[in-house]
Amino acid sequence: MAKQYDVLFRLLLLGDSGVGKTCLLCRFTDNEFHPSHISTIGVDFKMKTLLIDGIKVRIQIWDTAGQERYQTITKQYYRRAQGIFLVYDITSERSFQHIMKWASDVDEYAPDKVQKILVGNKSDEVDKRQVATEQGVKLAKAYGMDFFETSAFTNQNITETFTRLAEQVLAANKKDLDLLRVSVNDEINLAALEEDEGLCDNAGGDQGKSCWC
Amino acid sequence: MDQSVAIHETLEREENCKIVSFVLESICPLMYCRIFIYTHRRMAITADDVSLEDIVPISLDFAFVCVLPIVGHDVRIRVSYQEEELELRLPFGSHSRLFLSEVNRAWSGRSAQLSLYKIWTKILLKPMQNSFNLHLPLNSSRGQGISSREERGDLVRSSSHRPSNKAQILAMPQFGLRDNLIRCELLKNEDLYTYLEEFRYFFLGTYNVNGQTPKESLCPWLRCTHNPPDMYCVGFQELDLSKEAFFFNDTPRELEWTKAVSEALHPDAKYALVKLIRLVGIMLTFYVKKEHAEFISDVEAESVGTGIMGRMGNKGAVAIRFRFHNSDICVVNSHLAAHIEEFERRNQDFKDICSRLQFRQFDPTQPQLTIMKHDVILWIGDLNYRISDLDVDNVKELISKKDFETLYNYDQLKRQIDEEAVFVGFVEGEIDFQPTYKYDTGSDKWDTSEKCRVPAWCDRILWRGKNIKQQHYQSHMALKTSDHKPVSSLLVTGVKRVNSEAYKKTFEEIVRNIDKMENECIPSVTLAKQEFHFRDVKYMQHQAETLNIFNDGQVPCQFEFIQKPNELTYCKPWLTANPHKGFIAQDGSVDIELEVFVNRSTASDLNSGKDQIEDILVLHLEHGKDYFISMSGNYLPSCFGTSIHSLCHMREPIQDMPPETLRELVKMSPTENAANPEKPLDIPKELWMMVDHLFRNAIKQEDIFQQPGLKSEFADIRDCLDTGIPDSLPGSNHSVAEALLLFLDALPEPVVPFSLYQQCLESCSNASQCEKVISMLPQCHQNVFNYLSAFLRELLKNSASNRLDVNILATIFASLLLKSPMKQDFSEKRKTQEFFQHFLTEAGH
Ligand SMILES: Nc1nc2c(ncn2[C@@H]2O[C@H](COP(=O)(O)OP(=O)(O)OP(=O)(O)O)[C@@H](O)[C@H]2O)c(=O)[nH]1
Ligand SMILES: [Mg+2]
Repeated sequence: MAKQYDVLFRLLLLGDSGVGKTCLLCRFTDNEFHPSHISTIGVDFKMKTLLIDGIKVRIQIWDTAGQERYQTITKQYYRRAQGIFLVYDITSERSFQHIMKWASDVDEYAPDKVQKILVGNKSDEVDKRQVATEQGVKLAKAYGMDFFETSAFTNQNITETFTRLAEQVLAANKKDLDLLRVSVNDEINLAALEEDEGLCDNAGGDQGKSCWC
Repeated sequence: MDQSVAIHETLEREENCKIVSFVLESICPLMYCRIFIYTHRRMAITADDVSLEDIVPISLDFAFVCVLPIVGHDVRIRVSYQEEELELRLPFGSHSRLFLSEVNRAWSGRSAQLSLYKIWTKILLKPMQNSFNLHLPLNSSRGQGISSREERGDLVRSSSHRPSNKAQILAMPQFGLRDNLIRCELLKNEDLYTYLEEFRYFFLGTYNVNGQTPKESLCPWLRCTHNPPDMYCVGFQELDLSKEAFFFNDTPRELEWTKAVSEALHPDAKYALVKLIRLVGIMLTFYVKKEHAEFISDVEAESVGTGIMGRMGNKGAVAIRFRFHNSDICVVNSHLAAHIEEFERRNQDFKDICSRLQFRQFDPTQPQLTIMKHDVILWIGDLNYRISDLDVDNVKELISKKDFETLYNYDQLKRQIDEEAVFVGFVEGEIDFQPTYKYDTGSDKWDTSEKCRVPAWCDRILWRGKNIKQQHYQSHMALKTSDHKPVSSLLVTGVKRVNSEAYKKTFEEIVRNIDKMENECIPSVTLAKQEFHFRDVKYMQHQAETLNIFNDGQVPCQFEFIQKPNELTYCKPWLTANPHKGFIAQDGSVDIELEVFVNRSTASDLNSGKDQIEDILVLHLEHGKDYFISMSGNYLPSCFGTSIHSLCHMREPIQDMPPETLRELVKMSPTENAANPEKPLDIPKELWMMVDHLFRNAIKQEDIFQQPGLKSEFADIRDCLDTGIPDSLPGSNHSVAEALLLFLDALPEPVVPFSLYQQCLESCSNASQCEKVISMLPQCHQNVFNYLSAFLRELLKNSASNRLDVNILATIFASLLLKSPMKQDFSEKRKTQEFFQHFLTEAGH
């Protein structure tokens, strides 16, 4: 058997409050669904290991507060991401409109190489749909992103979406990985390779340690 | 000075307000801490207002008992040192808590330094640095004896966290650790994804060639099976007995014998030489049938010498390990110590080989792999165990009778294995062939030399592991090159194979569990509240809310409020979180005091609306999540902290002014009045109200400007000035006097603007020069200056009753009217006083 090695990625969930970011994460990592909306006030994360092409890919998924008043702070976390989920709610035209704003913030604050994927959540809510699938497809095409309609409620497309973004990030970093592969035989921590001055790093001194890197 | 206001309110008549300051001075090589106790003349606005009264060194004869605090009440502590005993009452709040924990930490750190006490006290009287001050009312009541250290209150104990706890938090799942965990779990669950394959045939051969070259075909030995075996493990000893081989490990025999082996392998299959290893004369070759080659991995070879000096390669072992499908297999070829009486030495050689022979691991983080760690161990070689307790003739007779069973009972190896002295856990098949040693070379005749050695089963094959059966175990008399005969064995071995579907499933299951574990170990807390509202925040009025953090995670956690980008501190300057970082044990909780206090340095932006009572704090858990905590509230603007210029443009109390006006007034330059068509007031009406009040009521007041006021009265005076209600100023003369001082102190731009400060210093000795400087002041500032000076001169006219003199007033007011943009030194201070004195003396006016 070939020697295995690990990669660690950091993915970020973005989108308006209530589109279902926390639910998507819960479904993906714990296979659970909570019908009540407890708004995330802060930045949370969970770990998940995937096997992609025989490579153990560990992803650290960050769930951010969607509420507008926290956006100046949450933007500071973009810098540390290799992949970003832009999530809207298919029952909310407004959340779809806002994707534009989220995407431009990502352009401004996230690293250039960041991979993005468009996610239209709550696909189970057929009757309340306000955003047609074609609209999502069109927008994704305009941005050159992949697009999935998901449901955290029915578990539709959840693994597919997360795996796809992880694959994209893996592919985007393939060259670096292959280079590293010769020298490192253990885990390759991609996250740590990026220049990593997290939000907390600015506190100076021994703060560097308090980051998840 | 902020808290002293609060303390004053609580003072009884006989009590004095003291400042307790804790200073940690490090004087090499010892650290020494002491508590400084200061007295105030009045409310401490400048350093001149305080004087050092006592120093309490935290030495061995120091003791300190904290009476358990009741929430919202003062904390009472009793402090004793030498014969002195003090009871201190500290105001409830985080300042006091911090103070206590510092004192406690210093106290716990004390060692026997008693004798040094006196020296330290002297050094103390230096200006203090790095001190934090705490104001507290102090009852110098002499209490009864103070109990020992053990009785320190829980409050103190809980407020300091221990480094050992911190280390616990750092034990986060590490990546390497995680890999090992997966490996262990995979190994544990091997049965779930492996199955035993149809058995494979291992041909094992061992031959001591006595330094000879191959002179005859090895076919009788290696081709003795009907079907081609799956593997060949062929070992030789004494391949080359020359000095060259011994010293340089170099011999042509290696190639010759390898060639001989290759040529004699079973003709019905194709074999690949996977590995060859040789130590002097001990050589092992490993061949595999071509079709199995792809399932062989992790091949490693090592050798260990146990010969001369216990290290040299004339004796010892070589070994090859490999993985076949999912089984780890190790083949060892050893040549152990010779001579009949040396069986214990042979046992020792075996042990040495087992412990010293270690294979490299692919993963450098893994410990080295020893022979015994393999699923299957195949051990061949000239083990050199002899037949003892029988003389040559008896041995030969038993051999001729083919009574190998009886003879075997005299075999040293059998006896040693029975005694568990060697080859523990190994199995050897039944020996059904005559001893393989020692023959006259080129014949089947027993040794005819003088030594006439007793025949022995020197050459042996053993194994260890599950699912192994022996098909044959025999010697090959046809080969006559050496004084030994070669031996062979065919073992049928079960091999574990991996079901890749099942493997993937098991792997994913394991990883899922580990992920779950890891996610559960991410530090986590619940916050009782994430939004805080501070209503009607007023100047110098403390407001606090408690943030309760409960550690609901499965690990202890370290929390800290962290800075947001581009900001210097974790929160706005009028806010503090106490403690702002710390440690919470699992299921533990911590109360954090969120305190709002607007003082003179933060008031001006809040008054003008440039800043608001609004902030978001980021609470970060080490290796964990971040939580946002929102602060909101409203600030009631105050004349305290508002500029003279702005106030002169307000005919109404500041709180009746529309917020836009306040904002515009700040933007306006002091010279332009365009925004307001109305003529500005000569001086701020608030200043007039205070001065006029004092002029009418306090001109003869004893100790005016020397006695402290009351905090509650200050609040009333402030509210009256800011709202216009009631019509006249409440409070005692002393409180109004103090409010006046605080008003001047809070001005964003002092009465003498910073820009003119230097000029004042330069002209301080010349009265007319001084007046000239004052004439350069902006009009409203100039008015204020003249108005105040006139008032103070009136006061001095009544010095008989109010006990003021020029010096006292110059000291107090110069420091408020003439402020340095930078730190002021003592000579500058003198100059400002000199400057101001010109305006207090009647002569010029
Ligand atoms: N029907 C349906 N409801 C969903 C789905 N996903 C989430 N919800 C609901 O949508 C609400 C909001 O979900 P959250 O995951 O808390 O939203 P969020 O994006 O994390 O919101 P913030 O934390 O405020 O940024 C909850 O009541 C969920 O139960 C879905 O796929 N289908
Ligand atoms: Mg959420």
